[in-house]
Amino acid sequence: MVLQTMIVRVADSLPLAASMQEDEQSGRDLQKYQSQAKQLCRKLNEQSPARCTLEAGAMSFHYAIEKGVCYLALCEAAFPKKLVFGYLEELEREFSEQYGAKVLSVSRPYFFIEFDTYIQKTKKLYVDGRARRNLGSVNSELHDVQRIMVANIEEVLQRGEALSALDSKASNLSSLSKKYRSDAKYLNTRSTYAKVAAGAVILITLIVYVRFWWL
Amino acid sequence: MSGGGYAAQNGAGGSYTNGPSQNPVGVYSSNQGLMAPPLTGFMNSLTTKGPPPPGPNPYITGRHQPSPVAPPPSSWSGVAPPPSSYSQHPQPGVTPPPVAPPPSSYSQHPQPGVMPPPVAPPPSSYSQHPQPGVTPPPVAPPPSSYSQHPQPGIMPPPVAPPPSSYSQHPQPGVTPPPVAPPPSSYSQHPQPGVMLPPVAPPPSSWSGVTQAPVAPPPSSWSGVTPTPVAPPPRSWSGVTSTPVAPPPVGNHTGPGPYSTGTRLPPVFQNTMQPPAALQQGLYQAQPGQMIRPPAYHSPSAPALYTQVQPSGSAAQLSPSLAAMSLQSQTPEALRVVNLLQERNILPSGAVTPPTPCLPQDLQKINCCPEVFRCTLTSIPQTQALLNKAKLPLGLLLHPFKDLSQLPVVTSSNIVRCRSCRTYINPFVTFVDARRWKCNLCHRVNDVPEEFMYNPVSRSYGAPHKRPEVQNATIEFIAPSEYMLRPPQPAVYLFVLDVSHNAVETGYLDVVCQSLLENLDSLPGDSRTKIGFITFDSTIHFYNLQEGLSQPQMLIVSDIDDVFLPSPDSLLVNLSECKELVQDLLTGLPQMFSSTMETQSGLGPALQAGFKLLSPTGGRISVFQTQLPTVGIGALKPREEPGQKAHAKQEVQHLNPATDFYKKLALDCSGHHVAVDLFLLSAQYCDLSSLGCISRYSAGSVYYYPSYHRQRSPAQTERFQRDLKRYLTRKIGFEAVMRIRCTKGLSIHTFHGNFFVRSTDLLSLANVNPDAGFAVQMSIEENLLDLQAVSFQAALLYTSSKGERRIRVHTLCLPVVNSLSDIFAGADVQAITALLASMAVDRSVTASLGDARDALINAAIDSLSSYRSSVLSVQQPGLLAPACLRLLPLYILALLKHRAFRTSASTRLDERVFSMFQLKSQPLPFLMLTVHPGLYRADDLSDEGALNVSERTIPQPRALQLSVEKLSRDAAFLMDCGTVLYLWIGRNCNPVFLTQVLGVESYAAVPLNMDQLPELDTAESSRIRALIDWLRERRPFHPVLHVIRDESPLKAEFLQYLIEDLSESALSYYEFLLHLQQQICK
Repeated sequence: MVLQTMIVRVADSLPLAASMQEDEQSGRDLQKYQSQAKQLCRKLNEQSPARCTLEAGAMSFHYAIEKGVCYLALCEAAFPKKLVFGYLEELEREFSEQYGAKVLSVSRPYFFIEFDTYIQKTKKLYVDGRARRNLGSVNSELHDVQRIMVANIEEVLQRGEALSALDSKASNLSSLSKKYRSDAKYLNTRSTYAKVAAGAVILITLIVYVRFWWL
Repeated sequence: MSGGGYAAQNGAGGSYTNGPSQNPVGVYSSNQGLMAPPLTGFMNSLTTKGPPPPGPNPYITGRHQPSPVAPPPSSWSGVAPPPSSYSQHPQPGVTPPPVAPPPSSYSQHPQPGVMPPPVAPPPSSYSQHPQPGVTPPPVAPPPSSYSQHPQPGIMPPPVAPPPSSYSQHPQPGVTPPPVAPPPSSYSQHPQPGVMLPPVAPPPSSWSGVTQAPVAPPPSSWSGVTPTPVAPPPRSWSGVTSTPVAPPPVGNHTGPGPYSTGTRLPPVFQNTMQPPAALQQGLYQAQPGQMIRPPAYHSPSAPALYTQVQPSGSAAQLSPSLAAMSLQSQTPEALRVVNLLQERNILPSGAVTPPTPCLPQDLQKINCCPEVFRCTLTSIPQTQALLNKAKLPLGLLLHPFKDLSQLPVVTSSNIVRCRSCRTYINPFVTFVDARRWKCNLCHRVNDVPEEFMYNPVSRSYGAPHKRPEVQNATIEFIAPSEYMLRPPQPAVYLFVLDVSHNAVETGYLDVVCQSLLENLDSLPGDSRTKIGFITFDSTIHFYNLQEGLSQPQMLIVSDIDDVFLPSPDSLLVNLSECKELVQDLLTGLPQMFSSTMETQSGLGPALQAGFKLLSPTGGRISVFQTQLPTVGIGALKPREEPGQKAHAKQEVQHLNPATDFYKKLALDCSGHHVAVDLFLLSAQYCDLSSLGCISRYSAGSVYYYPSYHRQRSPAQTERFQRDLKRYLTRKIGFEAVMRIRCTKGLSIHTFHGNFFVRSTDLLSLANVNPDAGFAVQMSIEENLLDLQAVSFQAALLYTSSKGERRIRVHTLCLPVVNSLSDIFAGADVQAITALLASMAVDRSVTASLGDARDALINAAIDSLSSYRSSVLSVQQPGLLAPACLRLLPLYILALLKHRAFRTSASTRLDERVFSMFQLKSQPLPFLMLTVHPGLYRADDLSDEGALNVSERTIPQPRALQLSVEKLSRDAAFLMDCGTVLYLWIGRNCNPVFLTQVLGVESYAAVPLNMDQLPELDTAESSRIRALIDWLRERRPFHPVLHVIRDESPLKAEFLQYLIEDLSESALSYYEFLLHLQQQICK
């Protein structure tokens, strides 16, 4: 069962199209998964593996990146992986044919939301048990699904967090050292002033002494 | 003007140059000095340097050097567009005094709200001045001004004080005192030209840049008035004084006697004021001012002096400024009208909303009154003042109005205030090129990098030129942060009553026909979905899945537990299944033609509709022709014929009988589903219960009483036209609207169709261009240091094309502190509309009688408050300011309106429908139903006609709604909003009969004539042009009835003549007498 489908531009994680989740029938609270999907899209970049499955409890995310566009689907964990990737490839083929040229130029989110109609139709095709059998040919063309990387969503999301924590620590450190530097400078100048003042006092005393007592 | 003369003479100017130029300080000093004893001491200490009798001296010197003074007036008299003057400030050496005044005035205005931060500090210091209690600060400035008078040449004293207040004063010693202060405050702005404009205008125009000549009088005026206007005078009089000063010189009496420096200023001030006022001729115009002339004439300076004092002790700076400009501008609004004597009080044209007293450049970009209106265009400073005025404070909005021109901005980063989330708007202040100050919460925010680039002019570094800052109404394309889920497609579900009763009315044909015709113009894109449900005692679904050869009907007879027989083929893609939909629509009317089922299960049908739409959201259009009788949500008839008679004052059953519809509506609202209700029924349908379904889900209600296809062709035509508009009008899905206002104001009650999700967030499942909203406000914190307040309504919605958009409207209004100004800015139509909404609430929560009393009391209270607090001279009669002269008439119209009248002939559903309309209609349409327009129709001429797209539309004069205006030998057109009546007099000109109606004689006029024949005569084309024009300007279609004395509709027509005595209500004159009696009591 495919619960949710998103098509996102990888470069700036701009959502291009999506299929509305059917929360009424499934009755599941998909809010959590939706925000996870959003976070995931933000984490993706050019270096991310092109195909990956992320386990998130009873659900798993599957995504495929092609030509800078990420096709992401949320499914029940038990849903056959082969089918999901077949589905995503089907979407990819149609989407890049229809809108491929325009992907880089758009700036409005969900610019290709009308693709939703096609997504829903394809989804129905893949989810429907009877139709599934007819897809045997498509599925066999799929390369070895087993090689697709599997990871846990928490890890992926937290990896970013660890990095950002490191980053914040580093910036903290640098700001502290900056402060130290300015403090040191301040102390330095102060001690210089003190020295000069002491010297001046001695000098004046000397002059006064010379002026009044010496002469 | 005598400006030049002033300047020249005003040698004083010379000596005073300091005074004026320093105005900010000088003025203060003058006022404050007068009031504050310590000042003298202070002054003395300062003046010690100068010769003891400073007064005369300055004058002499002044004469010798007129030049310094001359400039100021010139700049004043009109040169001074604020920016220019500002831009000059940076170079103190160059700018002579001329420039000084404006800035000075500007710098004084400093209201934290309006002023840029750098300047803000000074205001604080100033703000203290007003309060006599705080001695130290007030004293500081005075010396400066005083010291100047005695010794113009000696800088130190004048300069000394400024630093105290202006901490940043750069080189006080170098520049002549006049110039010095301004630069100080301004010098901080890196690019005064850039950010000042937004800020500058308010003060500038107020202070007198725009109305240079006018400004002075108010200032002087306020100075004298006992009202707490004091502060302005100082700042103001300072500014203005330069030009006006001459009188003292000419008289010499003024300065002469007062040799001491202390006294000089007061005299100076006083003397100058009167002339200014005189020029204005304000005394007569403003009742409040009437006292003054004597003061002016009185030679004794002391008297003046004492008068000034009270004013000085009072506190506010800013509001008074606004007040002044107000007074100078709007003598007309406050003209006293004795309602008992003036019979023809209707304006010849349309009633126009008052213009807020804002500087012109702000007003030019202010939000259009059709979209955003406030009952008081001048906001009172305190709640106490508002209570005293007894006028309701509220806003009327028409946020999704169809606009001919709307700037749309696409931006990845929408600039908003970081603390209150206000969208950047034309009324914010740019502190410098990189920061802007929110006009609602006063927080200073950074300008993001992208905002520095202006896409319109393709230039960089001018954020104040961006469209966001140039337009009070603007639309943003929202980035993905504004979406909780992907934008929903347009989804339309039609729920049709097909019981015997419904089929009998023949409405199905009309609905199906209209839908067929407009299927292609339904707003939407390729994702648009459509579905149908019909119901009687069972629910019928229609499977329209692609691939079927014809629509499949699925009947669910278990209405206690409704389920969807097929999850995904009931709501289908319109573009893919268009043929099936068309098949269904063609066949539907016949399908039920022989039904004998009389029951109606509306509740279960609605539940089914909700289930179908809840995953996506969308719009349910319900067509209902009778009281729901089976299943959940069944209702019982509550209107008993006998009841009408005995309870004359009290109308019952205005409350819903069950909360089922409200609960369902809230569920719908939570899932972005709106329900629009079309009620076509001859019998009682309990609209007060049924209406809840639309009211809380932000839908709309249409009511066609006694609809029948054959028997009421006019109704059918109206239904058809309304449907066309309904189906094709713009629509916004999953919308929310938030209304924000400047800190200190708070919104407490909302009127309209919506669900209030949090304190200021209205959840609108759908928003349509014909929905109006109203809110009531109160003033929680005093707006003492503000010159203007702003209101912002932001509507976030998904367009039918799947774009998430935000439409933002911002309205800016001045703050005033005197009752007369509040009255001058009252918007009588807005007040009426808000009162009507409040009265609807009252009649539901309390009783109709209560609501009627409240309406009458509203008129009594505001007029008596006007009489007691604003009018100084008590005259007999019922007095009202010109701007409120229509209030009693409108209140009477409301009392006779279908919603509130007590006559027994009003049916409950009609009354409830009128109440719905009062709460959810935009103001202009609402006013038409409250107070119809009456025009003489048989002598239309092209004189004063409008020319709209090559058509000439005659503009007849609006007549009082009274039988006495009707004459037997004429014809009259009455425009009641949803219906037009053309009344033909018995002895009507036969030419009119033949040329317009195409009949030979009066007797030949048919009894039920619903349209005018298209005759090729000038008269016919004129009147048809007028009627077409009236119809075009509203989103619903008013039917036309041609009536004569024998017509059955004549009684209805006469009911709209609200100025006449009716069976249960007073005539207008009696009503006025009643009001007068109550007021004088």
